[in-house]
Amino acid sequence: MSYAAPHIGWLQIAPLAIVLGTGLVGVLVEAFVPRRARRTTQLVLVFAALVAALLLIVAQWRDTMASGGVSLFGGSYLLDGPALAIQGTLVVLSILAVAVFADRTSVGQDAFAPAAAAVPGSDYEELARRKGLEQTEVYPLAMFGLGGMLLIVAAGDLLTLFVALEALSMPLYVLTGLARRRRLLSQEASLKYLLLGSFASALLLFGAALLYGFSGSLHLGEIAAATGTIAGLEGLLLGGMTLLLIGLFFKVGAVPFHAWTPDVYVGAPTPVTGFMAATTKIAAFGAMVRVVYVVGPSLQWDLEPMLWTVAILTMVVGTVVALVQTDVKRMLAYSSIAHAGFVLVGVLAFSTEGIASVLFYLVVYGLATIGAFAVVTLVRQTRTGAEGTVILGEATHLAQWAGLGRRSPWLAGALSLFLLSFAGIPLTAGFAGKFTVFTAAADGGAVPLVVVGVIASAAAVFFYVRLIVLMYFTPEREEEGEEGVTVVTSSGFTTVVIAVAAIGTVLLGVLPGPLLELLGQAVKFLP
Amino acid sequence: MTNPYVPILILGGVALVLALGGLGASAIIGPKRYNRAKLDAYECGIEPTPHAVGGGRFPIKYYLVAMTFIVFDIEVVFLYQWAVNFSELALFGFVATMLFLVVITVPYLYEWRRGGFEWA
Amino acid sequence: MSLTNYLVLSTLLFTIGTMAVLLRRNGIIVFMGVELMLNATNLALVTFSRMHGNLDGQVFAFFVMVVAAAEVVIGLAIIVAIFRTRRSASVDDVNLLRN
Repeated sequence: MSYAAPHIGWLQIAPLAIVLGTGLVGVLVEAFVPRRARRTTQLVLVFAALVAALLLIVAQWRDTMASGGVSLFGGSYLLDGPALAIQGTLVVLSILAVAVFADRTSVGQDAFAPAAAAVPGSDYEELARRKGLEQTEVYPLAMFGLGGMLLIVAAGDLLTLFVALEALSMPLYVLTGLARRRRLLSQEASLKYLLLGSFASALLLFGAALLYGFSGSLHLGEIAAATGTIAGLEGLLLGGMTLLLIGLFFKVGAVPFHAWTPDVYVGAPTPVTGFMAATTKIAAFGAMVRVVYVVGPSLQWDLEPMLWTVAILTMVVGTVVALVQTDVKRMLAYSSIAHAGFVLVGVLAFSTEGIASVLFYLVVYGLATIGAFAVVTLVRQTRTGAEGTVILGEATHLAQWAGLGRRSPWLAGALSLFLLSFAGIPLTAGFAGKFTVFTAAADGGAVPLVVVGVIASAAAVFFYVRLIVLMYFTPEREEEGEEGVTVVTSSGFTTVVIAVAAIGTVLLGVLPGPLLELLGQAVKFLP
Repeated sequence: MTNPYVPILILGGVALVLALGGLGASAIIGPKRYNRAKLDAYECGIEPTPHAVGGGRFPIKYYLVAMTFIVFDIEVVFLYQWAVNFSELALFGFVATMLFLVVITVPYLYEWRRGGFEWA
Repeated sequence: MSLTNYLVLSTLLFTIGTMAVLLRRNGIIVFMGVELMLNATNLALVTFSRMHGNLDGQVFAFFVMVVAAAEVVIGLAIIVAIFRTRRSASVDDVNLLRN
């Protein structure tokens, strides 16, 4: 038996190869380029690579949609409509998210520890801070993470799915621990994320093993084909699917597997929070939709009770707990949990409209999330001491945001827009997203879910609007002694990101049609 | 015929009895006379220090070496398939493996440039 | 000896690992639990591979080993970083840690 080398579709894997290759080159840059030039080099590399990847994805769009996609590496890499659409979304959002990474603001420091390996408060760290060192490793790490995400949405077998899941998670574990301020909190968040994340991966892996035991194949298509033909092993099939889905629920932060979300979102440097809140969730949903729609249909009756329970719990718990939060990042974290529930409603439509609505909702959610966290990076605490006013970390307590609308109307306006979009108020993208998701689900017969979803969105309006009221109609808090709050000026990157996200949110709210139509082409999964 | 592995089980049992028996017997019937020299740690003639140097801490390099080793060690499993199927995989296998080797060299270049290999 | 026994063993080990993750509070022990889960899965994969007579499961097991190693390395790095931070006397240093 001779071995036939697999056919490699260079064009199809080019975006993935470019992103991962840039990560690799980024590591070499860290090793060989002089310290001064590193940041500039990394930024040029990263943005060039992301733009190139985006252009390649756009270039393939028409062919892929016409042919329904291609299957590469013996079915391990399935570049079909949904995969390409989500890859495009991921790359666009990563461009925005990485731009927030790069912002040094008027303080002249980015959000990352100058020397992450140094003990906080040590002389060495102080030296690193004074010399203006920067942890430019964040860019290659983000690229590796993005590479895993691009891979997982196109994963046609369980092995690729697992490896991609790990490849996207591991850089994020590290990125979480790199915050410049509140180092201990950040490192603990990192550890917590790592432990729970690897636990989830282990569950997913055991699920994959059971599915392999059931069908004798790792390919999703062949597992789906086996569901109707093999009798007597339903335990393996159902157990495997359940564990596989639990692993993915962890990654999207669905209740009851959401415990890590608030702590990690709070502890991580805010640009990283924006990056992972948007992109990880999208990538994991991409994988979940593929698993549910390729393997799930014949199991629909068996899986639906679990999926329904998780969807309802996620919406309700996310909303209710968000109501009582007093920290902006924590509130946004719970709101992102609730949004995972809304996306699940779209997944449960079990129809092509459902896929399109999920894709659309993910774009909308990603834009608003990155925008909102970008705003959070600019609102800072100050302390007035003997040596004048010092600008410290982010002011995340809600009370500190009172009166922000008067001091920085544009920033507060942009945040209000993102919050309204989260809440699903008409004329913002969030409304269009919720509307399409709920319509698809109602058509698919999931009416009770839609009812819960609508009630949850109505309740969620309360806490989003509370923050808006706080920013505009509550007088600024009296300066308590030496503590204060200020808004730092962005060095340009964040301003652009917030503007793009805001324009996108309005545009998709007023004119959702074109994008919906575009995504409507991308709803056919390859088996 | 019994299971062919039974003799191994018996051998294991004998080994266990011997080991535990030896330890137990010396603990029970052996003489116990302690003196200062006997209780001292044996350190090749050097005066034993009460604690490890630096208050029980050992250098962080230890972890670096361990981590470097683990990753390098485990990556070798991917060479295994190539090794056993070298001629069948032919040029494709060769190129793929070389690419893999180049890729896993990059982190070590990084570690080297960042001073990860400087013991001292 | 039936191959099913290996599966039972694998499930048992996996459960022990899960329990370690859920019940223990020490970061390193939790981490060991995760590793036990991964290796239990390897056993299941290899057994299934044998049952079905194809090699997919064994290849998967190789990948799992590599992933487990990478996870250990990242986990240890984070744990060491936290350990050093925690023990450092100047954790309350206002300049760096207070927001």
